Order: sequence, then structure tokens, then C-alpha cells
Amino acid sequence: MQEGSLVHRLVEGGSLRPGRRAVLLGAAGLGMLAAPSILRAQAAFGSRPIEIVTHAGVGGGTDITARMTAVDAAAALGTELIVVNKTGGSGAAALAYAAQRPKDGHTVLLLTQTHLITMLRSRTAAQIEDLVAVARATEDPQVVMVRADSPLANIDEFLSAGKSKGLRFGITHVGSVDHVATAGFAKAAGIRPPTAVPFRGGGDIVVNLVGGNIDVGLLNFAEGEAQIRAGEVRPLMVLSRERMSSLPDAPTARELKIDFVAATTRGYAVMKGTPEDRIARLEEGMLKGLRGPTFTNYLKTSGQAPDSVAGRAEWQAQLESFSRESQQALAELGVTR
Amino acid sequence: MEAFLGGMASLGDPFVVFMILAGTLIGITVGALPGISGSTTIALMLPLTLGLDPVVSLAFLGSIYCAANFGGSITAILVNAPGDPSASATALEGYKMAERGEAGMALGMSAVASAIGGIFSVVVMIIAAPLLSRAAYNFGPPEYLALALFGLSMCAAVGSDNPLKNLIAAALGVLLATVGIDLTTGVERYTFGFYDLTDGVSFVAALIGLFAVGEMLDQATQQMGKPTLLKMDAVRVPGRAEFRKCNRSIWLGSVIGTLVGVLPALGATAAALIGYNETRRWSKHKHEFGHGSIEGVAGPEAANNAAVGGCMVPTLALGIPGSATTAIILAGLIVQGVRPGPHLFTEQPTLLYAVFASMLAANILYLVIGLGAAKLFARISLIPASLLWPAVFVLSVIGAYGANQSMGDVWLMMGFGILGFLFRRIGFSPAPLIMGLVLGAMVEESLKQSLLIFGDGVVAGFAGRPIALVLFAITAVGLLAPPAYRLLSRMRQPQAREV
Repeated sequence: MQEGSLVHRLVEGGSLRPGRRAVLLGAAGLGMLAAPSILRAQAAFGSRPIEIVTHAGVGGGTDITARMTAVDAAAALGTELIVVNKTGGSGAAALAYAAQRPKDGHTVLLLTQTHLITMLRSRTAAQIEDLVAVARATEDPQVVMVRADSPLANIDEFLSAGKSKGLRFGITHVGSVDHVATAGFAKAAGIRPPTAVPFRGGGDIVVNLVGGNIDVGLLNFAEGEAQIRAGEVRPLMVLSRERMSSLPDAPTARELKIDFVAATTRGYAVMKGTPEDRIARLEEGMLKGLRGPTFTNYLKTSGQAPDSVAGRAEWQAQLESFSRESQQALAELGVTR
Repeated sequence: MEAFLGGMASLGDPFVVFMILAGTLIGITVGALPGISGSTTIALMLPLTLGLDPVVSLAFLGSIYCAANFGGSITAILVNAPGDPSASATALEGYKMAERGEAGMALGMSAVASAIGGIFSVVVMIIAAPLLSRAAYNFGPPEYLALALFGLSMCAAVGSDNPLKNLIAAALGVLLATVGIDLTTGVERYTFGFYDLTDGVSFVAALIGLFAVGEMLDQATQQMGKPTLLKMDAVRVPGRAEFRKCNRSIWLGSVIGTLVGVLPALGATAAALIGYNETRRWSKHKHEFGHGSIEGVAGPEAANNAAVGGCMVPTLALGIPGSATTAIILAGLIVQGVRPGPHLFTEQPTLLYAVFASMLAANILYLVIGLGAAKLFARISLIPASLLWPAVFVLSVIGAYGANQSMGDVWLMMGFGILGFLFRRIGFSPAPLIMGLVLGAMVEESLKQSLLIFGDGVVAGFAGRPIALVLFAITAVGLLAPPAYRLLSRMRQPQAREV
């Protein structure tokens, strides 16, 4: 089916030089069943739809990031972008899938910190060294949230309470990105190691924060926005470098002498071995998509900064530093491989 | 009131009505196909709706959501393949009815019960959404633990007539629920290194295997050439007598579905299972359950459609989605610039009521479509098994693959198919297994969360949770009352003889 659609697209789009088209058509006509991987590797860039591979199921924040990017990036790259959801293994299935695809720039991974942690925790098909950054899509800072009417809503109270007992932090499962961030935050703030209570997602954490079942939640702005506006949850501090435009009154942790930043970060990457000129074209096209009206509006409405979008140099450096930090944090939590 | 009328007035726009109709038709279709769920469809449609007016796009997405829940019952009844996980309880009785040649009866009842449940919950949402949404905050892990135990306590009574077999199946379900990454330790359990198992056993694959593939294997062993004349009754739709019989189940299902839907951690599937249990508990015709009870179709169908309105309560009033589908609708709302939360009711009431109005309209539309087409759909049950079941098998494979785009799930489905076949052979029912799978995971998670939250003061912690205590008490009464009653009547009998 893959090869059939390839030929179909070539005929329809006519994007190739006649010589190669004839060769390809001839090859397909001869039924070269064993050759498709070679053919694919040589396929001209943009001659097939580009696959965005994500570990997230349809409908989550990561999946929506991919779909919002695709709207404007398709025009910039001159081909369709399709989202492929390879769930399972906390990103391991997506990495395995991407690793076995031809390295011709038609397979782009939507990478999150979850992948990096999975790579550190198990022997996945691709490790951080096997990936090349393309562009960063979102950087959604974590916000330390507490119940508005709890004594912890005062920063001094919060820090002194945290020093006398382990506070209850809501996280997604043990060994996850949240867990690493929670441990890192506690260390930087000089409070006792918190009790990590695992939940299924951000929504559950907010409910339990308001319901008084946990003391603190490290959440994205959008996850707690309704409760912040209703005055039920107080954003104590934001874990970004500068104050967030959506929460101008909340100080950054650094202003409070807590040297810690954390964000939910998502960006695009390809497998190492993809030709350099294609990575450059991909970066250009993806950045056009990410700076297009659809994605910009998505960032704005979900409370994320427009400077979330960044090129490959910045994103690559960030991936590497996060991987190093996580390795250390996981070792301290006792959950490395 | 003004806002309410303003919202209703949006139904005067022919384009809005057209989009609701389109959404309803799409919803019924994808709902009926196993594996393509309402949530997948809404996620795929989301980018397309971005260019539309917020009212139009929300009306469109909302009507897909409403109709998909109803559509799932069609294939559940006709070929025992729940088109949507929430229809699994419907398959239990609905398919038995279709086998008996009463497909039209089951389909008609499903359409009516679904619509009543759906409309009931939307009306409740209009009246009490801000108030009800507070209930979500009062439900923490201890309360979910109590609720899940309450559900599990019914396991022995659900399914076959043999309580021991039901308990064995339920225990198997609970065991299967432990597969996957453990939330509290981050350790993989029983995954054997397969990525497809890290998030647990795929519910869709398990359902399709147990119900549809199991049934196909069973059919394959039977002699062909059954007299089909008996089945000419299949196109008969329910009349006044049937509705009178199911009245109580429909209302019970509607109330349970709405309440369960309001709780963010529970969705339409849990609502349908609890609705089924309670319908059976309060039925005057208990002996019919497990053998094609029309009340057993009405109760869960009312419940799962009522849960749709219920799920919208925390989504709109708190910005916390109650299900996968509402999570996507929430994303759509936010992108459209609508800010869900308590203030939505004061800041953008017209938009809110337009959403309610379109959900009402979708419920009425699928009632009309469902009743009108019940006779047509029912003819599917007249197709010879040798043609029907291979087609169902193809759909099953596509369905199991489609949910996560994974071949692993297809093999899992085949495995569950064989299990489902063996279950039929030795007189087990898949119903308690499904309940164990859904509720077992919840019991474990909420228990571990409760223990972490309470720390050292576990007893004091539970003692301070009145809602949990009441639910524990109801569970205890439900479990202990029948044996106590038997004991009491045995003690009384000899006395009666003496006198």
C-alpha cells in the first residue's frame, strides 16, 4: 500500500524529474518487492507525506501539538503531514518505529521529555545520541500550585512547612517527568523529599489539590487555569526563567532564590543519518508551520509563550542538558535501569 | 433565561442545524464501527472545525459525541461487537435478544433509552451544572475506592447463573487489570517486554475479542441451516408494553449515568456497567437477565448516554475533562478562545446554552434516525452466519488495530477471542471479567493513592471521609443482607410450624 501510494503521488504530483520517475515506475511495474527500502531512501524530499510520529494517543496535548503544527507546515514543506500515533512503552514504541523507517526526512519524531526518560530507563531502539533536533514546538513552564485557602499559599509558610515535613505532591506515575521535576524542585528549594502521590493526569491532580487530598501540584498553566481564575488555586511561583505573561503576578522561582526551572517541552527530531540538506529543509518548513497563524493561536490560547518555538541549535542543546540532569535525578530516585 | 433563549435561538440557523445533522450521522456511523470511537473521530475532526464559528464547531463536536455513544449499541446488539466500549454492557443482553429474533425490539429500546438518558442529563446540566461540579472536588481517591468496591461487590450476580463462575471470571479480570506500568512504583508488571502492554491490556482489543471473535468461533462450531423463519419477528420494534416494563430501568440508568458522568475519573463505560448492575438489582424480572432482558438493554443505554451530559459538567464548569472525548472537546474549546471554568456560566452563557441546545437536538435526531432505521438495521441479523461473521471478523481486526495503530493489539484480540470462545463452552460470561478489568485497576490505584495521602493515619483518614463511609456501608449491606435474610427466615420457619 505504501509503494502504491508512492507511485500514485509521483504521477499525480509530477514533482520528480522524468528520468527518475520513469525508473521508479518501471521498478514498481516490475514488482521489485525486495527493493522498497532502497526506493524509499532515495525518494525525493516532499514526494511522500511526512509522518509525524508521536507516543501520545489521539487527543492529548502532544497529539494536538502535532496536528496544530501540521496545518501550516504542510504548505511550507509542499507535502502532506500525517500524525502517526505509536503508543506504548512511554515512547519506546514510537522510537522503535522511527528507528526502522528510512532516514530520508519523511519521518519526524515529536519528542518530549518522556522519551528522554524512557531512553535513560531502558534500552530503547534509539538513544539520545541517535537523534538530531529539528525544531522546538512548545515550552510550557511548570507552575507550583497550592490551594488558595491553605496556609501554604504563603511562600514563607510553604518553605517552612516543607522543611518540617514531607509535603504531598501530585505527580503522574513514578519515574515520570513530573516525578523528576518534583524531586529536583524539592532539592533546589531545600525542602524535605516530598511524598509523591501518582495520578492519571493533570486534571486529576487539580481536582485533588482543590479537594485537599494533596498539598502541591506542579502543573502547566492551562491545567489549573479555571481554578486559578475561580480563586480556588494559587500559583505560588512559576518555574520559568522569566515571569509568564499569562501569570504576571506570580514570581519566578529564581526571584525567590530557588534556582530551578522546569517546563513541559515538545519538539521535533529525526534519526541521525538523515541527509543534512533535508534536516535544514525540515527545520525551515517546521518553523514556518510553528510560526504560522494556527499554531501561534494555539500557543496563545493555551497560555504558552510564543518564544516556545525555537530552532534546532537551541533545541539540541536543551535536549542534551535535560538528558544529563534527568540521569542524575533518576539515579537519586533509584529508578535507573 | 434570556441567555437560555439566545442559546436555543442558535438552532434557528440552518447551518447550525445542518452541522448537527452531519455530526449525528457521522457519530452513529463511527459509533457503530468497532474500534473507531467517538473520541478518535472528534480528535480527527478538531483541526477542521478551527475555522468555524465556536457555536457551530461545538455543536458539531457535541453531536458526534452524543450520537457515537448511541451508535455503539447497534453493532453490540446485532453482532455482539460493541462499537464503542461503553456499549459492552448492552451487548450482554442485547445480543441475546437478537439471537432470539428480537433485534428490532432491542434496537428500538436502545434508541429510546439512549435519547431519554441523554436528554435527562442535558436538562440536569442546564439546571445544576455549577452546583453538581462541586461534587467532583469531594471525590478523592478514598471515595473512588469505595465506589469501585461497590461496583465489584456485584460481580458474583452479573453474567451467568452460577455465582462461582462469575467470581472466577471477575478475578481473572482483576488479574488482567494489573498488567502494565504500576503508577506507584513505575515498575512494569506482566508486560513481558511488549510495548503494547505497558499501558495495560487494551480495553478495545479485549472487548472485541471476548464478544465478537468469541462469538464467531462459537458460531463456526454450530450446524448451519437453522430455521430462519423464526427470525421474521426481528423487525418488530418495541411497543407500549415494553416501554412500561422498562420505565424504571430507563430512569434508574439516567440518574446513575448522570451522577457517574459528573465524576471526572469515571466515564460512560463505568456508567453503563454500574447502570446494568443496578437495573438488575432493582428489576422485577431478575431471571431474564443473562438470557436477553430488554431491561438490561434499556438500563445501561440510558446510563451511558446520560454520562455524556454528566461528563460535560466538569469539562465546562471546572475545565476538567471527565473522559477522553471531553478532553478533546476541551482542547477545541480552548483553541476557540472559550475559557471553561466556573465563570463560563456568567461570562459566556449564550455560547454555553447553544452547546446544550445542540446536544438536545442531537439526542432527538438520533432518536428519530435510530427508531426509523431500527427495522432496516435489524435485517442485518437475518444475514446468513456464513456471510455475516467473516465480515464482522474483518471489522474486528481493523477495530483492534485502529485504536492504537498496533498489531500487538490485534494478537491480543485473537487471544481474547479464544478466551471468549472457551468461556462460552464452559458456561462463563464475559461480563464479570470486563467489570474486574475496569474496576480492578481503579480499586488498586485509589487504594494506593489513599494510603499515600493518609500516610500514617490511615484509619483516621478513612474515618474522616463521610462519602466513602456511606459507600462502604452500602456495599456491606448489599453483601451481607441476603445471607442474613436467609438465616433469619430459616430461624423463623420452625417457629411457624410450632404455632
